[in-house]
Amino acid sequence: MSTNAHTFRLQVMSINGVFYDDRCKNVILPCIDGEMSIMAHHEEMFLAIYDGTIRIQKEDDSWMEAVVGIGSAQVANNRCMILVDTVERPEDIDVRRAQEALEAAQEKIRQKNSIQEYKMSQAAMARALSRLKLASKYNLH
Amino acid sequence: MANIKEIQDRIKSVNDTMKITNAMYMISSNKLRKARKMLAETEPYFYSVQGMFSRVIRHVPVDTQDIFLDKHMDIPKEERKKGYIVLTDDKGLAGAYNHNVLKIVEQHIKSDGPNWKLYVVGEMGRQYFMNKNIPVDEQFHFTAQNPTLSRARKIAARILNDYENQDLDEVYMVYTTMKNSIVCETQFSKLLPLDRKDEKLNGQDVLKSTSGAMQEEFLMTPSPEAVLDNIVPSLVTGFVYGALVEAFCSVQNSRMMAMDSANKNAKSMIHDLTMKYNRERQGMITQEITEVASGAKALKRAKEAKEQRDEMMRREAEAMEEEEGN
Repeated sequence: MSTNAHTFRLQVMSINGVFYDDRCKNVILPCIDGEMSIMAHHEEMFLAIYDGTIRIQKEDDSWMEAVVGIGSAQVANNRCMILVDTVERPEDIDVRRAQEALEAAQEKIRQKNSIQEYKMSQAAMARALSRLKLASKYNLH
Repeated sequence: MANIKEIQDRIKSVNDTMKITNAMYMISSNKLRKARKMLAETEPYFYSVQGMFSRVIRHVPVDTQDIFLDKHMDIPKEERKKGYIVLTDDKGLAGAYNHNVLKIVEQHIKSDGPNWKLYVVGEMGRQYFMNKNIPVDEQFHFTAQNPTLSRARKIAARILNDYENQDLDEVYMVYTTMKNSIVCETQFSKLLPLDRKDEKLNGQDVLKSTSGAMQEEFLMTPSPEAVLDNIVPSLVTGFVYGALVEAFCSVQNSRMMAMDSANKNAKSMIHDLTMKYNRERQGMITQEITEVASGAKALKRAKEAKEQRDEMMRREAEAMEEEEGN
């Protein structure tokens, strides 16, 4: 029996380098209106993904989680490529930094700013929140 | 002698300058290596982004209305608001690097109609346009040193913001790339709006692609526009970052070459000056010897003359004595 009958190739990349490049069984991505799970032989599509966490089920059924920023995914020919702004493992998250970023973003949102600044603060807040959420889940700090 | 002292001082000052140019050469080569490594690390991501983008573009429905694809055909070419991102360095001493970039920008400003805006990176460019009373964007203050991703992201955010607010219809980038380790080329490339790779889609080729090979269908979730909107910032950031690093590499390379030739010039100058110094010194010594020798000779002659005179006087005295004796 072929071992990779129900797996597919997954690549997760960010500007800082290649984060994941291996076969996997399932990957759950944060979308604008909830989460989306992609399994082997998925329909071909492009997907816009937003700040949140991705979960990858590896070939040995273990799960791996990571915080991602805004990005996009492409599914074609039983291959999935995910390109994101940032990607971090829970153990790499600096809770203090995330906390500080969250507070700074909240502070900034309260002030009267241009729309651009408001959007940037909002995005920074979303990133900080998703980092904190995942870090607290793993209770690492 | 004053002249010999002057030459000595000159040699010393050339030597001191050479120390500086030599140090700058080494710093530049080190920075170049670092920047190259940085670029290589991020390359796979940006190649993937480009690949994904061209794939999305191929499959985006032709009637998708996205600002990034809008060519502003309704506005005459001369009246489109153009933005130029100009990458110069913070310092000179890099041969013709800054000059080449600024020359191209000026040409385009003159020929591309009245609606343009300059986004200048680097102090050299800013100073240049300020001296010429050419307006540059005031809030756009970025240094060319140590290109970082966050800076590229900020630049891209600023440009995309202006583009989305329709302050700009077209965005171009003027920067320098390294063709090889000797030749640097100044590039003028269009950043926005994005070109559909197969522009002919509206023309004949659209028939071919529908009647010919079956194209795979892609689902765009949540919408083609959303997918594009998520890819375009990474694409622009990637491009800006790539250009920043390329420009940084180029300036370091130009500076390396400029410093190398400065070193060579300094060496030949020192050689010439040393020759001149030695000649002067030799001349001085020769003159001194001549002076001493002629002095000695004169002394000897004076001594001889005196001896002769003494001899004569002695003889005269003897003769007189003899006469007296007689």
